[in-house]
Amino acid sequence: MGLSAAEIERYGRHLSLAEVGLAGQERLRAARVVVVGAGGLGSPAALYLAASGIGTLGIVDCDQVELSNLQRQILYQTSDVAQSKALAAARRLSALNPEISVVPHALELRAENVGAIVAGYDVVVDGSDRIATRYLVNDACVSLGKPLVTAAIHRFEGQAMTYQPGAGGCYRCLFPDASAGPAASCAEAGVLGVLPGVLGALQATEAIKLILGQGELLVGRLLTYDAMELSFREFRFARRPDCAACGDTPRIRVAVGPLPADELPVTPRRLAPRELAELLADPARSGAVRLIDVREAAEFAAGHLAGAESIPLAEIDRLRWNAPDGSVTVFICRSGARSLRACFAAARHGLQEPGQLEGGLLAWAAAIDPTLHVA
Amino acid sequence: MIDRTVRVASPLRSYTQGAASVTAQGDSVAELLDGLERRFPGMRFRMIDEQDGIRPHIRLYAGTREIRAILEPMGAETTLHIICALSGG
Repeated sequence: MGLSAAEIERYGRHLSLAEVGLAGQERLRAARVVVVGAGGLGSPAALYLAASGIGTLGIVDCDQVELSNLQRQILYQTSDVAQSKALAAARRLSALNPEISVVPHALELRAENVGAIVAGYDVVVDGSDRIATRYLVNDACVSLGKPLVTAAIHRFEGQAMTYQPGAGGCYRCLFPDASAGPAASCAEAGVLGVLPGVLGALQATEAIKLILGQGELLVGRLLTYDAMELSFREFRFARRPDCAACGDTPRIRVAVGPLPADELPVTPRRLAPRELAELLADPARSGAVRLIDVREAAEFAAGHLAGAESIPLAEIDRLRWNAPDGSVTVFICRSGARSLRACFAAARHGLQEPGQLEGGLLAWAAAIDPTLHVA
Repeated sequence: MIDRTVRVASPLRSYTQGAASVTAQGDSVAELLDGLERRFPGMRFRMIDEQDGIRPHIRLYAGTREIRAILEPMGAETTLHIICALSGG
């Protein structure tokens, strides 16, 4: 199917490029790219991939937004603090480009689920901040024959490479084992905020070139970047015949199992305080609303919304959840973090469309009822 | 022996008081690393194991030529690059 009039206008500067054009833009729209780690690197990479019109963009991150992330993780706003990164990123990317489909995976990649996630995409962009995840993603890409664009940062320095099946070495060929290396995190070592912007943009560039089948890729080449001296260097590396992942007799194979039910993508419905207040004030709809306060009993006792049931977060995981058609189950907590976890827990146990009070009772008190005591 | 430049990977700059480049003398990679160790004690062990093998999270390049064993000569190359796997994201 051709591009719509809105898409032709949106992607006009791409369509003017002979190397992209209509056929290339349609390839981008048909492509499925997953960004592992929606942090410093994943932020610019995902923003550019979404803006470029990648049709399906997966975002994998199990963390929540922290205030200290905002110095470099440009996907997020201050109001996203304490929210799920995967969900906040999906909201931002969908707002940037409603033409594309963004799939949040608010989960931690592990040996049991990495195959199922990677198998669902054409290209993998890795910007994770854990060395173990880098190997997990690399091994899955090698096993499943998926191209991988990986990058990493430290203080003022960054590095990037691309793996293309059958065309060059993988991350393990470059660094067979970095688990014992001096792999300090950004939190420990510090990082210049703009540094991941440079590397993440390079990752998006590589992913787009991979999809378009254009240009020269960073295959078999490690690119290093030093922000202080503003220099790029390039170091060639070869595939290792003894590589545990892509060598002649590989010892690591990643299988594709079914994604556990509790890790299927879930997008909780976020109700702003005013939206919930209007829902509760409407006699035709309020009867279908179930309010579940997931704070501890003492917090609940200090003050809660009228009609709310008290089911502390730890209990949510022990119950079977379902809701009649047309009903809305809204989880409530102090600021929105626990209620989001409750949404995922209830979804694991059968609830189809969990909802949460955005910003929690603090936001409710600020916007609707200043007399509410929030413990 | 001539002076050569050693480009130090970011995670190892704690040994060089933050310097990205230092000067060392040696005709082989091993000699350069020994020179570094004398000036920056403990640094060599972060890159080279007890059997004189290059650790698997480190890569060494004489100019653009990859070094597989530290006894390799530097030849005419004036710069040794120490590359370290980074993990930050």
